[in-house]
Amino acid sequence: MTLFDVVFSGNDTVYGLTEGAIDAAIEKHGADKAIAFPDTAYSLPCYYAVTGTKVATLGQLKEALGVVKTLMTREPRLNDAFMSGIATALCAEFIEVLKYIDGALPYEAPCYGHLADAVIRELGVPLVTGDIPGVAVILGSAPTAQEGVDLVKSYQAQGILVTLVGGIIDQCEELGYKTGANVRVIPLGKDVTSVIHVVSVAVRAALIFGNIQPGDAAGLMKYTMERVPAFVNAFAPLDPVIVACGAGAIALGFPVVTNEETFRVPKSLIVQKDVSKFNATSLEARDIKIKITHIDIPVAFASAFEGEIIRRGDMQVEFDGSRVDCCELVMTKEASEIEDHKITLIGPDIDEMPVGSKQSICYVVEVAGKSMQSDFEPVFERKFHSYLNCVEGMMHTGQRDMIRIRISKDTYEAGFRAKHIGEVLYAKVKSEFAAVVDKCQVTVYTDPAECTRIRHEVAMPLFDKRDERLTTLTDEGVDVYYSCIMCQAFSPSHVCVVTPERLGLCGAVSWLDAKATNELDPQGPCQIITKERPIDERIGEYEDVNEAVQRFSQGALEDVSLYSIIEKPMTSCGCFECICGIEPLSNGVCIANREYAGMTPIGMTFSELASMTGGGVQTPGFMGHGKHFIASKKFMKAEGGVARIVWMPKELKDQVAERLNETAKELYGIENFADMIADETIAEDPETLLAYLEEKGHPALSMEPMM
Amino acid sequence: MGNFKLTTVEEFEAATAKLLETGKKVGADAWQYRVANQTPHCKFGEQGICCRICSMGPCRITPKAPRGICGCDAHGIVARNYLKFTAGGSATHSDHGREICHTLYCAKPEGPYKVKDPEKLIRIAKEWGVETEGKDIYDLAHEMAYLGMGEYGKVFGNQNFLKRAPKHTQEIWEREEIAPRAIDREVSCSLHMAHMGCSSKPEALIRQSLRAGLSDGWGGSMAGTEFSDVLFGTPKPIESEANLGVKVAENVQIVVHGHDPSLSEMICEYADDPEMIAYAKEMGAKGITVSGVCCTSNEVAMRRGIPMAGNFLQQENVVLTGACEAIVVDVQCIFPALGPLSKCFHTKFVTTSPIAQMPDSEFIRFSAESAAENAKAIVKMAIENFKNRKPELVYIPDMKQKATVGYSVEAIVKTLDGVANSQVDEMGTTKPLIECITSGVLRGAVAMVGCNNPKVRPDTAHIELMKKLIANDIVIIASGCSAQAAAKAGLMDKAAKDLCGAGLKRVCELADIPPVLHMGSCVDISRMMVLAAELAKDSGLNISQLPVVGCAPEWMSEKAVSIGNYVVATGLDTFLGVDPYVSGSDQVAELLTSGIRDWVEAAYTVEKDIDKLGDAMIARIEEKRAALGI
Repeated sequence: MTLFDVVFSGNDTVYGLTEGAIDAAIEKHGADKAIAFPDTAYSLPCYYAVTGTKVATLGQLKEALGVVKTLMTREPRLNDAFMSGIATALCAEFIEVLKYIDGALPYEAPCYGHLADAVIRELGVPLVTGDIPGVAVILGSAPTAQEGVDLVKSYQAQGILVTLVGGIIDQCEELGYKTGANVRVIPLGKDVTSVIHVVSVAVRAALIFGNIQPGDAAGLMKYTMERVPAFVNAFAPLDPVIVACGAGAIALGFPVVTNEETFRVPKSLIVQKDVSKFNATSLEARDIKIKITHIDIPVAFASAFEGEIIRRGDMQVEFDGSRVDCCELVMTKEASEIEDHKITLIGPDIDEMPVGSKQSICYVVEVAGKSMQSDFEPVFERKFHSYLNCVEGMMHTGQRDMIRIRISKDTYEAGFRAKHIGEVLYAKVKSEFAAVVDKCQVTVYTDPAECTRIRHEVAMPLFDKRDERLTTLTDEGVDVYYSCIMCQAFSPSHVCVVTPERLGLCGAVSWLDAKATNELDPQGPCQIITKERPIDERIGEYEDVNEAVQRFSQGALEDVSLYSIIEKPMTSCGCFECICGIEPLSNGVCIANREYAGMTPIGMTFSELASMTGGGVQTPGFMGHGKHFIASKKFMKAEGGVARIVWMPKELKDQVAERLNETAKELYGIENFADMIADETIAEDPETLLAYLEEKGHPALSMEPMM
Repeated sequence: MGNFKLTTVEEFEAATAKLLETGKKVGADAWQYRVANQTPHCKFGEQGICCRICSMGPCRITPKAPRGICGCDAHGIVARNYLKFTAGGSATHSDHGREICHTLYCAKPEGPYKVKDPEKLIRIAKEWGVETEGKDIYDLAHEMAYLGMGEYGKVFGNQNFLKRAPKHTQEIWEREEIAPRAIDREVSCSLHMAHMGCSSKPEALIRQSLRAGLSDGWGGSMAGTEFSDVLFGTPKPIESEANLGVKVAENVQIVVHGHDPSLSEMICEYADDPEMIAYAKEMGAKGITVSGVCCTSNEVAMRRGIPMAGNFLQQENVVLTGACEAIVVDVQCIFPALGPLSKCFHTKFVTTSPIAQMPDSEFIRFSAESAAENAKAIVKMAIENFKNRKPELVYIPDMKQKATVGYSVEAIVKTLDGVANSQVDEMGTTKPLIECITSGVLRGAVAMVGCNNPKVRPDTAHIELMKKLIANDIVIIASGCSAQAAAKAGLMDKAAKDLCGAGLKRVCELADIPPVLHMGSCVDISRMMVLAAELAKDSGLNISQLPVVGCAPEWMSEKAVSIGNYVVATGLDTFLGVDPYVSGSDQVAELLTSGIRDWVEAAYTVEKDIDKLGDAMIARIEEKRAALGI
């Protein structure tokens, strides 16, 4: 038999029973006998909603049954199956209303039967706010009472409203499981027809909250499909009557999950043999996401701890990406590849690490979601800084493979271990990005060899790929830039203006990242900045950009240029990947990166340069920036561009040489420009530097004086 | 629902009528007039019983003269003509595939042709048993391109891609001796068989027609599709627009027309170049709009969302708008009429391929090696031509529809993953679609393909059939000019779900798709073959058991017959709205509509009444369902 034939046969059976029951009632009470459900303004709510006609007497009920018959067409099309499902539901409503003749009280505890309008009005607000994230309709008997109760309990724990029909009610009673509207577990009745009482709730919600006009069946079905997050769990065996009811549920947009082998329809009729997975299967089918409010860690989690500093003496252990292999990474996967909330630790835990030692760590957060885009990955990553800093006794700086994390002795003693990093990331990613993340798992690596592998073979190629995408975008080619104020926790007056050719100075927020951040959270840290009113194209100054900077820095900054280090340079927070500073003797700039611990020809180390450049103040002649910016055609464009670079640490030079050479070739026609730039193996003082530059014929020497 | 409304064929025709008035002003000819001049058509030709393959004739079969001079009867002549027709189509598609292989061979990391989908390249390499580990992607690309070109002349064995078919299908091809060998060999062999004094037995000639068709669908076309994806990216859903209204009067208008994406991709690339846009502004335009006609349009729409100005019988209209700075063509389905027509306007008619050279055109020889310069020169020429536009002749019909396009097999599977449940379902399969079909939510699928043909009121058959089918919960996959007819009407707008039966409507809502899925150009019918193969493998059924059929209601070219042959030979019943010149032989007609079913489990149905054609497809789909008990 085809699926539709089963629906039709179940519908015919119920129709026959209904006709018999109505005829018998008319015979007994007469056609004028009044009928109604108690405490509702919508008499025969379902029939009224579908047809726009109220039914008040047995005679009218008989007429209504005639209307129901017209829905029961038998073409092999889904429309016919849907309408037969609706007809089955309406028949159930008719059978149920007969039970209430003469003010009878057909249901006794624990069953509720018909639910009053007042109950719906009460449920309305929490359903809208998501405090009740869904409505489960459980029908029939679970394989064992325990499995049934476990399922009910699992929904209850998620705040889902549970309604019960049939054997599951007895199973709850058998195990003494407490039910009732107050605990959001409502047994409706033991006959399958009593399922109409929850359908009636959904339908009345559409009338009450959705302003659906009675008789607008299409509008009703659209409302329930889009707005009422209900679903059905139907236990085997399924008879044709249940299947026909199921067709009605699916017509309203409520998926049915069953453990009986039957036809399958994606997102609608799902066979799940394992009852313990009914919960997860149902939530996925109905796109219900449960808000995570609790983070399972032994210390506090609050934004109050975000700026907390852990000093060397207080620290149990340190993970330091500038010395050993570390990284943080988000990767998009297929849903089937991810087990939600799986946290794995590969390598030693914190209690196996010597106190005060420097260790490797990589944490890889894998996510899946139907609306997930890989453009969002770096956006999640940038938030890790804030998440991990919110942990009491934990300090996090940097990004990508240049992270540093300290965990305090107190926090360690409170029981904080490596897996808790996973817990924090899981909980925050799931809750803050619920719109796009359906499933999430975290792997924390502390094994040094694994960290090396993850950093160099997984993370770096991915970072390069992200940077690569940016190379095709130019500042002129886009209509808007973005602000980034993610660092304002540390540096309250700093604002980055992110453009395609100038990424954020942390090196981690590209124009695409900023765009994605803005798309995910239009009110968040990255806001659109227009660039319609240029003031000076040479230094990259715009009225709109200045206005934005004033606004986002709360007035601390007046104006910035995008392409100059001397005139109104952009400020730095303190997260910079690199700092460049003027070296007066050579008429050029030296660049130092965070990993470089040695001396520069300027006479200052990176840390010394950092101390005078950070904090969100403009320091003409000094500027923080990302590594990727070094090879940009917009780097110091106002002062003549990359030709000003006279020195950088060897490691950094090797990293950027290829792209830098391309830029220099394009801008000045110079081949192998990187070779003209000195490094610490050549010079650490201005005089040796100058001699080298002269030997190489460095272009900076013949450029206009900078100051 | 918003304000969504289909554009009707009557509205198309009203716009065309207005454009023809412009044409009259400048003395332009048009296909509408030429059809009148050519009607009635030669009856012998129509029935396929004119033979002119040797100089003893031409011979024509009549009741009084039932045999040609050599003694060949109507059945032999019709079947021979049919085979030659097929060979023409197969050669054409396959040569396009070869060009793509050659372009892949020229791919370089620095461009202009790059490998945009390395994963797909690796996947195909593994299918072909080529070692991929540790190989530079461009080395692999060149190796695969070389092997791909080798498929055209391989000395022994069959086409590599045949292994993609379900086992049962491969067995049929073996058993029936129609598994295609080297691509060029099947074309040569066909021409050989159809030479004077070779085969005259219909069974033998039709069998070779199937084989030559298969060498196209599972050989040359498949190479064309697959390696185009490697080069230009595998299509995924993207927004586009269709019909003449996509032209923006203030912009420089470049129309690409033909089939080979190697050219159109480059034109799009350079039309997007800031330098070119700046130049266009300098020349008084606001920007540059590239739009397309025919399958090269489908190619760039699928990958870049480039708007589709129209399909086959709209090619003259794009020039008649008076707002066409250049119509740039590569190969196939290009009216020679465009030459004289372009002379009535300021339009530059640019031919680029040695394969398709025409009078009254500017020939800029395009090659993979000099693609960038060629494309730049063409775009520049169009920009410089903007000033020559005659404003009094400009009329762009305000008529366009939104379309979501880009449904490659990979994209369809990805879309299906979106409705699968990761708790119970395997990802990366076509199973969700199969479940929709077995449960009855969808009754089946129809592959709508093919051209326009003045013998059918243009676009009507495509659009009316699609409307009928989707109302009956039958999902449509479309390609070629059929897809563009759908897009012009609005059937590729997601809002078209409201024209569907409850089942297809629900599927469209849950999967967020339009009811008619654009699968690409005419070589991309190979995608449909791969999809059918995947459906068969994932369901455990034979392809011929699936409630899926093919339909070309307005077909006209030799390529279409080649396609029909490989679709049928793959096991899918195929419904035609135009007769393939075989009515002169009841034996050949019987073979094609019934006899070959014994060989390949599928056959043709020819029905010129479009409504009946739709009913016949629905009936066939329901028959297949009944046979499966679903």
